[in-house]
Amino acid sequence: MADQFNYREDREAYSAARVRALEALLIKKGIITDRSVDTVLDYFETKMGPFNGAKIVARAWVDSAFKERLVADTPSAIAELALPEGMAGAEGEHMRAVANAPGVHNLIICTLCSCYPWPVLGLPPYWYKDPTFRSRAAREPRAVLKEFGLAVPESTRVKVWDSSAQIRWFVVPERPAGTEGLSEAELEVLVTPEAMIGVAVARAA
Amino acid sequence: MKLQHYLGGLEGLGPVSTETRVFVEPWEKRIFGIHTAMMALSTQLSLPATPSSFRTVWTWADLRKGAESLNPLDYFRFRYYEKWIGGISSYFISHGYITEAELDALTKEYYADFSKPRPSAGCAVVDARIVQYLVEGDSPKRGAAVNHAFAVGDAVAVCDVPTVEHTRLPGYLRNRTGTVETVYEGTYTYLCNTGPDGIGAAMPVYCVRFDPVTIWPGNAEPNFAIYADLYAHYIAAPAAAQQAA
Repeated sequence: MADQFNYREDREAYSAARVRALEALLIKKGIITDRSVDTVLDYFETKMGPFNGAKIVARAWVDSAFKERLVADTPSAIAELALPEGMAGAEGEHMRAVANAPGVHNLIICTLCSCYPWPVLGLPPYWYKDPTFRSRAAREPRAVLKEFGLAVPESTRVKVWDSSAQIRWFVVPERPAGTEGLSEAELEVLVTPEAMIGVAVARAA
Repeated sequence: MKLQHYLGGLEGLGPVSTETRVFVEPWEKRIFGIHTAMMALSTQLSLPATPSSFRTVWTWADLRKGAESLNPLDYFRFRYYEKWIGGISSYFISHGYITEAELDALTKEYYADFSKPRPSAGCAVVDARIVQYLVEGDSPKRGAAVNHAFAVGDAVAVCDVPTVEHTRLPGYLRNRTGTVETVYEGTYTYLCNTGPDGIGAAMPVYCVRFDPVTIWPGNAEPNFAIYADLYAHYIAAPAAAQQAA
């Protein structure tokens, strides 16, 4: 095995210094500006993120015709909503939503890398990028979901979607029971990135 | 073959990570930002020219090739963004933007004193292009005039193409048979030419459904299905169907 005794003890400090040096050199050489990295990060805090996906799901929960359109033609349904510009932007050029239903649970994976619908979900959480999740979810999804605290009975059909080409996927979880009186804005806060990738379900607060 | 391309279904890995944060260490944000800025400044995009001195192509494919070029045992030893540092640094060095010696020297300086400030420089139009890329993306979809060889419900066999650097064909699906679930309109390119692996030029893409029992006989959970979006080059009519024809 390569470098079996060569794992740096100062792993994080070294990586931090290396990345800072790289960024400084790229600024100095005129490749990026001293604002470029922060520009990217600001964008993900304000424009692209799971807050968009939560709005889409909440609308699907209150409007079943919208939900049908969302599953049939995801980009045009998303375009109906007043979301920030860029929902068909980087990593959202071609998106498809799949809806959970009684007896059907969807799970999104990417066994080759970490494909993820940035405009509606932002950046993938660590668990999604982890090789263990990527490999195990393909063969034993229920066992993996159980480790996330979600028990899916054998009678429920699990659909696992491996994002191996250019389509980016997300899940419309089922509306939790007991939320009948909630407004769309109140429903949004019940929608987590984990539920929109399928390792969790939405729960009433 | 590379183990990296055959991850799906690998056994004996232990419990999954349930870490929900996107970035765990602050430096991970910075390398992510550098990668995204590079994608936005890459020359294949039809976005306005800027004074940035970045004059080459950088896409997801380049990042993936970098990570997948690692010794497979290192690939699994390093954390996600650790793999990015190596791939991105090597790219800038091999394309002559920076030298390894200056990166090593500056790393040493920041290691000794992390509070040493970064340089201040740059033109706002560079960052405007970065935002424009995030808003517009880089669609791989091409013309709609195409004859699709397969229709919804058709049985298809997955090929075992000779993958070299990079592929979009998950290893566990090779030589398996599935059923076309969706025929996507138009054609799709890929970000680079994968050589003998066979993708790059625009071609149809299909969503194909697989029964896990046929992928991992006797060793898959019951009552689930696996779906994968596959480029046309990766699939063919099953041998049985060819014989019958």
